[in-house]
Amino acid sequence: MSLFKDEMTPMERAVAFSKGEDVDRIQCNPNLSNGIARVLGCKISEFNHSARTLADAVIATHRRFGGDGAKVFTDLFIIAEAMGAKMKYPEDETVDLLEPAIKDISEISKLEPIDPYKDARLPIHIEAMKYVQDEIGEEVPCTALVVGPFTSAFFLIGVETMTKMMIKDPESVHRLCEISLENCIRFADATIKQGIGISIAEPMSSCTVVSPKHFREFSKPYLKRFVDFIKSKGSGTSIHICGKTDGIWEDVVDISVGALSIDNIASLKNCTETVGDRIKIMGNVDPSSIMYAGTKEDVRKATLQCVKDGYKSPKGYGIMSGCGLPVETPIENIDAMLDTAREIGWPITDEKLEELMSFNRYE
Amino acid sequence: MSNVKEKLLKDLAESVVDMEEDDTIEIANDFIESGYDAYEGISNGLAAGMDEAGKLYEEEEYYIPELLMCSDAMYAGMDVLKPHLKYDETEEKYKAVVGVVEGDTHDIGKNLFKIMLETTGFEVYDLGRDVPPGEFINKAKELGAKLIGLSTLMTTTMDNMEIVVNLLKEEGMRDDVVVMVGGGPISQSFADKIGADGYAPEASRAARLAKDLVRGKMNVAV
Repeated sequence: MSLFKDEMTPMERAVAFSKGEDVDRIQCNPNLSNGIARVLGCKISEFNHSARTLADAVIATHRRFGGDGAKVFTDLFIIAEAMGAKMKYPEDETVDLLEPAIKDISEISKLEPIDPYKDARLPIHIEAMKYVQDEIGEEVPCTALVVGPFTSAFFLIGVETMTKMMIKDPESVHRLCEISLENCIRFADATIKQGIGISIAEPMSSCTVVSPKHFREFSKPYLKRFVDFIKSKGSGTSIHICGKTDGIWEDVVDISVGALSIDNIASLKNCTETVGDRIKIMGNVDPSSIMYAGTKEDVRKATLQCVKDGYKSPKGYGIMSGCGLPVETPIENIDAMLDTAREIGWPITDEKLEELMSFNRYE
Repeated sequence: MSNVKEKLLKDLAESVVDMEEDDTIEIANDFIESGYDAYEGISNGLAAGMDEAGKLYEEEEYYIPELLMCSDAMYAGMDVLKPHLKYDETEEKYKAVVGVVEGDTHDIGKNLFKIMLETTGFEVYDLGRDVPPGEFINKAKELGAKLIGLSTLMTTTMDNMEIVVNLLKEEGMRDDVVVMVGGGPISQSFADKIGADGYAPEASRAARLAKDLVRGKMNVAV
């Protein structure tokens, strides 16, 4: 259970932040993935066919933790699946890619444009977004997580094939990314029509996977056009990129996305110092060794450290885990993250953080 | 020491680093036709090249696509050299079982670990991707494996690693098998928490650690 109480709703807080007014605490988004099923008490596979259950899990997670965003998200593959990729649907684990939509670039004409209201699990997500926005949209900024064009392209042809094509056949990578972009836009368009925002995930753009050079050649142009589309619809957006990203921070700024969420592998301090004057930064409590495997006090200390590294960032900073939380992350650790944000309160000073760091609250 | 052999080994390594698969095959054939020892070609040529590629990866000169192309060249060279290996000349091989845990199909890390394990002298059985916990146990039992390597790239599937460790305990096999875990979201503290024996952030270091751990365990057993 929470030790502290919020005085504002996440929406009131977000609005006050955007106007530069005082708030009750810093923003904090624990970034649950399918752990939302544990909060509601359902099986993860129920999200595959019930929009109501998916919405209920998102809403229950908002009510349980009071984080600064409610996100409709199950897995990275819903667009690729709608384009013909085959999935594995475990009963109570995250859906995973079984087979890409095509095996070879010669089959590219098999990839058909998606209909977000008809194909695969997309209509379930769209319907869930509607419930979430209708029921809690006034209290909390709601988003759908949409996988970006470059990463989605990997799932269309297979991760290994796409990876090698970047070196052997760059032209085909561009053709695939173009198709992927078109379908990301179709889904994003339907998402925005439900009245909710978009969080982009681009894990394959990570410098842990591809070089900044390849990112600039194959991902950035499509990502830029994707973000331009979202902004043209009057919607805001943020992006999460896993792994190392320091080599492409300037590029993310170029794309002019609203906020950048970084992995715990990346340095938050370095990031805020390098690009914090031009983009809001979020991050980056370790989802594995701290949130999943740590104690409540570990979570508290790591959260305090992140705030210390980030809170002066000129364009703003929000607490977040460095990647989606593992499904079985202890609920009380997620409470501890939010409670640390509440404990810090507002305004934040170096002295206050030092003082809070100097003692243990939980043990 | 023949200069010709040294030159061929160097070229072999370079062809791997340069991702020139066709060159690797040609040089490997030259190496065998010149009557040199295949094991040396693998360990001082191909693996040396892969080691160099790994270093370039650590230095952020190479990334996953480049590493995969290097590993393709290395495997192509292996295909040429392997049939010529004289097994009685190699040191005793420990058996290892590796795989990507259930729920995950990303096998880049596992494949690199497998290559590195093979070059440090393991005989590796690869269970592939999306492997249910029980299969690791069954295969290790069947082969008398001394090492189980578990890989994942996804936070959502990490819990399956702990299940494998617990199954080993239930089967009374935990003391006989070294368990290594690796992959993007895995950390030393996660390895400690689930009771795995070893973790390293990158494949070649993980493989060296694996060998040390298995040797350590064997010595204790003796």
